[in-house]
Amino acid sequence: MPSTPTPPTRPPVRTGPSRRGLLKAGAAGAVVVPALAACGGGSGGSGASVANRLRVGVAGGSAADTLDAHQPTDNTDIARTHNLYSTLCAFGTDYSIGMALAESVESNAEATVWTVVLREGLTFHDGSPITADDVVFTFRRITDPDAPGVNAAQLATLDRDNLRVVDERTAELVFTEPYVTFLDLVAEYSTGIVPESYDPDAPIGSGPFKLVEFTPGQRSLFAAHEGYWQEGMPYVAELEIINFPDETARVNALVGGQVDVISQLPHALIPVIEANDNLRVLDSETGMWLPFTMRVDQPPFDDVRVRQAFRLMVDRQQMVDVALAGYGSVGNDVYGRFDPAYHDDLPQRERDIEEARRLLAEAGHGDGLEVELVTGPISPGAEAAAMVFKEHARDAGVTVNLRQTTSTEFYGDNYLQWTFAMDFWSTRNYLSQAAQGSMPDAAFNETHWDDPEWVGLIERARATVDEDERADLIRRAMEIEYERGGYIVWGFVNTVDAFSSRVTGFEPSVTGHPLTSYGFHRVRIEG
Amino acid sequence: MTRLVLKRLAYGLLTLFVVSLVVFLATQALPGDAARAILGRDATPERLEALRAQLRLDDPLVVQYGSWLAGVVTLDLGTSFANALPVSEYLAQRAVGSLTLMALAAVIATPVAVFLGAYSALRRDRAADHATSAATLVLAAIPEFAVGILLILAFSTGFLHLLPAVFAGNGQAVLEDPEQLVLPVATLVLAVSPPIIRMMRASMIEVLESEYVQQARLKGLPERTVIWRHAAPNAIGPVAQVIALQLGWLAGGVVAIEYLFGFPGIGLALMDAINTRDLPVIQAVTLLIAAVYIVVNLLADIVGLAANPKVRVSAR
Repeated sequence: MPSTPTPPTRPPVRTGPSRRGLLKAGAAGAVVVPALAACGGGSGGSGASVANRLRVGVAGGSAADTLDAHQPTDNTDIARTHNLYSTLCAFGTDYSIGMALAESVESNAEATVWTVVLREGLTFHDGSPITADDVVFTFRRITDPDAPGVNAAQLATLDRDNLRVVDERTAELVFTEPYVTFLDLVAEYSTGIVPESYDPDAPIGSGPFKLVEFTPGQRSLFAAHEGYWQEGMPYVAELEIINFPDETARVNALVGGQVDVISQLPHALIPVIEANDNLRVLDSETGMWLPFTMRVDQPPFDDVRVRQAFRLMVDRQQMVDVALAGYGSVGNDVYGRFDPAYHDDLPQRERDIEEARRLLAEAGHGDGLEVELVTGPISPGAEAAAMVFKEHARDAGVTVNLRQTTSTEFYGDNYLQWTFAMDFWSTRNYLSQAAQGSMPDAAFNETHWDDPEWVGLIERARATVDEDERADLIRRAMEIEYERGGYIVWGFVNTVDAFSSRVTGFEPSVTGHPLTSYGFHRVRIEG
Repeated sequence: MTRLVLKRLAYGLLTLFVVSLVVFLATQALPGDAARAILGRDATPERLEALRAQLRLDDPLVVQYGSWLAGVVTLDLGTSFANALPVSEYLAQRAVGSLTLMALAAVIATPVAVFLGAYSALRRDRAADHATSAATLVLAAIPEFAVGILLILAFSTGFLHLLPAVFAGNGQAVLEDPEQLVLPVATLVLAVSPPIIRMMRASMIEVLESEYVQQARLKGLPERTVIWRHAAPNAIGPVAQVIALQLGWLAGGVVAIEYLFGFPGIGLALMDAINTRDLPVIQAVTLLIAAVYIVVNLLADIVGLAANPKVRVSAR
């Protein structure tokens, strides 16, 4: 897990423009002696860097592009956020949480007060020190009621008027209720620490790259941040992120050598890239899932037997092979597959048409059933999965009528109201995902799941600081969703990216964010 | 003639007003609003409410349209919903980019097409004429988007690797890297030329068969003088209308081409704005395109009138 920060150590006090946090063995690529450094010329104090520009084509982007640390929406926003800002903690390539700007983040026995201690000698892009005041400011900014950040809903229980600065490097964040998944939250890219003087139009952060130039809907240019907390990184002197909403244009730009790296290679074009000696494919298993969503409070899905029957109709392997061109793995109706508490002992659900027919007959649908499935281009493979499902359901005597929507319509006023639809979710741990999509008060409870026993378990788990005890509660909650939940979690989607063979340092990551979570600080490029 | 021009200008303004009203209503009819489109998947009710209040999306439609119109009258195009920049500032660079593209295409396409048309007429029913006819017919039949894809395949990703397939440079200075302009401009040239060539050929043939050309020949004038002094100027009149139509089409056709090549112009900005329901930008771009169309047609009419004494006099 190379990108995961090592445990905190005292930084050596240095002279010079930048004091760095700690010395660590970096990504696999970092072991290679930077033999080409010479051609880079002097780039400030960072002698080991290859002074070169990494040009990245990222899927998506629009005029709504933003640099705001706490409002990223589209892929290109997320890519910029990962590189402009640093968070207190960070996810490793295996989804384990390591410390980043923080030296430690610890809670009291009730998990209501979290104490953050920053590393020593941290600096923002403008050279000013990062202090506990900035941490408090950041969390107050995310929860600003006039402009709530992406993570505001997860911080609803933050007692934002009673956050405390203990000393220069120590802050105490106070919650009105126990919050055991706080580390998950502060490892999210959209919780980057910003200075008290923060202005999103001229953004200052402490990520590996600082902003040089930004044109919404087109491109952004960054230069290496000499004071980045990971010693020696980034290796490239400049980073350029270019928007490519059109996938053909994106691939053409890579093949034509106009960019060095692209995110999200369309499945159909993988063989083309693989056949090219100068290009490489990065295939990462992830925890991103593309479920069918059944509203448990609406007929026919208010009958648990119908939900069970629908789950049994799906030939999961075939769906992965067809809808995802094989770039995915089979799911077992439970999300949070990279949660340390993930329930591996639940038997893999297989297709069983007879049992499905029996359950449907028991539920009173022996003469057949007709349902409408709402689908749209919400994520690559979604529409294909809906079509495959239609075929699978036919074998069990269920007629599925597909309702095609645009993604704006899908996520419009009827989103969360569809009786039978689809959705996509990125990698999350179980409790964080439950808070987003399954608890009765969750912002996106699309299945209207409200199982009292399950809710009770989650509430207990949320207040349980002991990890083993909490894991036990989570596993019991997973069993309930496995038995009677409203999701059909048929598979997890791989992210597939591509880059020039001149680029080294990327490695597969399960976070679901392309290109090793847009980890351009770990990358080198040959001149 | 001045009165005629003024009258046409007034009609033009009326057209622009109607266009803005239709576009406004059409945008309202699209599912979802700007707040939803901008926040996308992460739209919680709280964030939607905050953004709607900020963009004043909850005002009645009449108020929204009225305040936009009041702004336009004072030459203020409003502020983009998507990125909070003044629309004029947001679009200025892009308009320059698009106009560069269109101007290059027009400057190349017009003389080349006129010359090819005239040449075909002179070589009537010979191999060169047949080849030109067939080529223009095929090009006119293929949508410009497909022509662009074929060019990309031929010159950048498929057979030859000569030219960049997409624009990946600095949108602030599109001329900085002229290589990237070659394919988009070539696509536009191929898209606008065929009708001009065909019209020029037809018009030229007609003129060459006219009595005054015969007379000029009989007078013993050298063929070159006959053609370029007497035939061509008379043939160009009807062609001017077609050229104007084609250049007017450029303003709209550039949208698809910019999307294909990822060229940072007003076309791409329009696609973007429609996706984010960014009304002020949609309005500004459609008005700009409509205005170009109207102005180009007006100019063509004026040229046509100026070239024709009969009309010039009777229109007084």
